[in-house]
Amino acid sequence: MLSSFELLEPTTVQEAAGLLERYGDEARVYAGGAELILLMRYGLVDATYLVNVKTISGLGGLVAGEDALRVGSIVTHRALELDAAVRKGWPLLAAAESHVGNIRVRSQGTLGGNLCFADPHADPPTALLVYEASVTIEGSGGSSWLPLSEFLRGTYETALQPAELLVEIEVPRLPSGWTAAFARTERFYRPTANAAVAIDLRAGAIAGARLAVGCVGPTAMRLPQLESELAGLTPAEAGRRVMDARAYLSRQLDPVDDLLGSAEYKSYIAGVLLARAIGQAAGTEGANGHG
Amino acid sequence: MAEPRAIVTLDCTVNGERWHGEVPVEEVLLDFLRARLGLTGAKRSCESEVCGACTVLVDGQPMSSCSFLAFEVHGKQVTTIEGLTCEGRLDPLQEAFMRNVASQCGYCTPGQILAAKALLAANPSPTYEEVGEWLSGNLCRCGCYPSIAESILEVARAQSAS
Ligand SMILES: Cc1cc2nc3c(=O)[nH]c(=O)nc-3n(C[C@H](O)[C@H](O)[C@H](O)COP(=O)(O)OP(=O)(O)OC[C@H]3O[C@@H](n4cnc5c(N)ncnc54)[C@H](O)[C@@H]3O)c2cc1C
Ligand code: FES
Ligand code: FES
Repeated sequence: MLSSFELLEPTTVQEAAGLLERYGDEARVYAGGAELILLMRYGLVDATYLVNVKTISGLGGLVAGEDALRVGSIVTHRALELDAAVRKGWPLLAAAESHVGNIRVRSQGTLGGNLCFADPHADPPTALLVYEASVTIEGSGGSSWLPLSEFLRGTYETALQPAELLVEIEVPRLPSGWTAAFARTERFYRPTANAAVAIDLRAGAIAGARLAVGCVGPTAMRLPQLESELAGLTPAEAGRRVMDARAYLSRQLDPVDDLLGSAEYKSYIAGVLLARAIGQAAGTEGANGHG
Repeated sequence: MAEPRAIVTLDCTVNGERWHGEVPVEEVLLDFLRARLGLTGAKRSCESEVCGACTVLVDGQPMSSCSFLAFEVHGKQVTTIEGLTCEGRLDPLQEAFMRNVASQCGYCTPGQILAAKALLAANPSPTYEEVGEWLSGNLCRCGCYPSIAESILEVARAQSAS
């Protein structure tokens, strides 16, 4: 049994922000509840009031524009996984979404809830960092816009201030001609580690690369130094380079031991997944899939 | 500004029949179905959205009723295993599960069958791999996976032949 609480159903973001201010620590934002209901059941979160953001109009948009995809915070993983425009224009995001938990979690959970919870063992952030996504957050003082890399601060920690909501996620397209792949390994549903890669392959050599690794450190991270080292390499050479970069990866990613693996294993597997994703993005290795 | 509510009205359809009444906001769909409506086909097991024993369909989509609040089904159609029987006749998936002995203890079976029902509605001719992928969130602790998959593929073949 869940302990009792009361439900608040605002219809605008400003009303929700006002409710969060009024009820302070006693209130929690409730989106899909896929995470929150479990936290409340296990006594990890104690909330007297739940503010249902699904009753706010305008948070459920999913618009594929010329330059960017705009995702309202309450769009579910399942909607993103299945949307034809997302699969075509943002395949890395669709792939990451298709790996989340199981089909029931994907139907219940939202992208906004995933990002706001900031569980290090998450899939969408890794893909979103490669697209250089940004987020819009809003409170009673107005709205602000910041890169996802600044929104994700640490383990279960974001840039959200009390009484602020995540409103929208903006996902630019990759530059034209780039190819991308997502690789993941899991135990017990949640990813042990994942990697997202996009490359610009010209005449067999890498002209540009974006690499991100998730679940290894406190947040998903881009790897700028390694990205620049891949310039001019063939995909096979690039695969070997990332595998050899274990010392850099463990410095950069700040891995921690947890139930899903030791820190040492995680920096090793990060290299393996990056190499695999580079191969897939270059079309030299089989289709996207589970590790 | 919205006022807090501890109890809300709920108007939904369960297995084709309308239900109208009030529920506490913290009541999960599983308790609503089992305790309030006496529909005990959906089972409680992990209570963590992992095992799928509590799977029911909400507007045709599989959901973890253990962790989904009942008020969320307002205006929606809920289908439980009890709702698959039509005029006393079992659903072809139920027949196939029996024929192939796709259960041992049977605890996971209602969830498996409902997940399979949603799969065949979305994809009438799934491959073995697609069955595995779709049902990866429905655990069978007795390990009846081969006969569960075979039952689903059998029904898919029969339905595409007819
Ligand atoms: C069995 C299981 C397996 C899972 N596997 C995976 C996996 O493989 N990969 C993965 O990435 N995730 C996984 N998850 C996590 C889950 O998918 C996400 O955390 C989920 O999407 C949460 O979204 P929600 O809408 O349900 O959030 P909720 O549970 O409603 O909220 C989560 C948190 O975010 C806050 N919040 C929600 N929306 C907003 C908003 N708009 N503004 C401000 N704060 C907000 C809430 O207050 C709460 O603290 C799994 C979860 C389960 C239960
Ligand atoms: S009891 Fe709901 S998923 Fe296991
Ligand atoms: S038949 Fe026993 S759990 Fe599946």
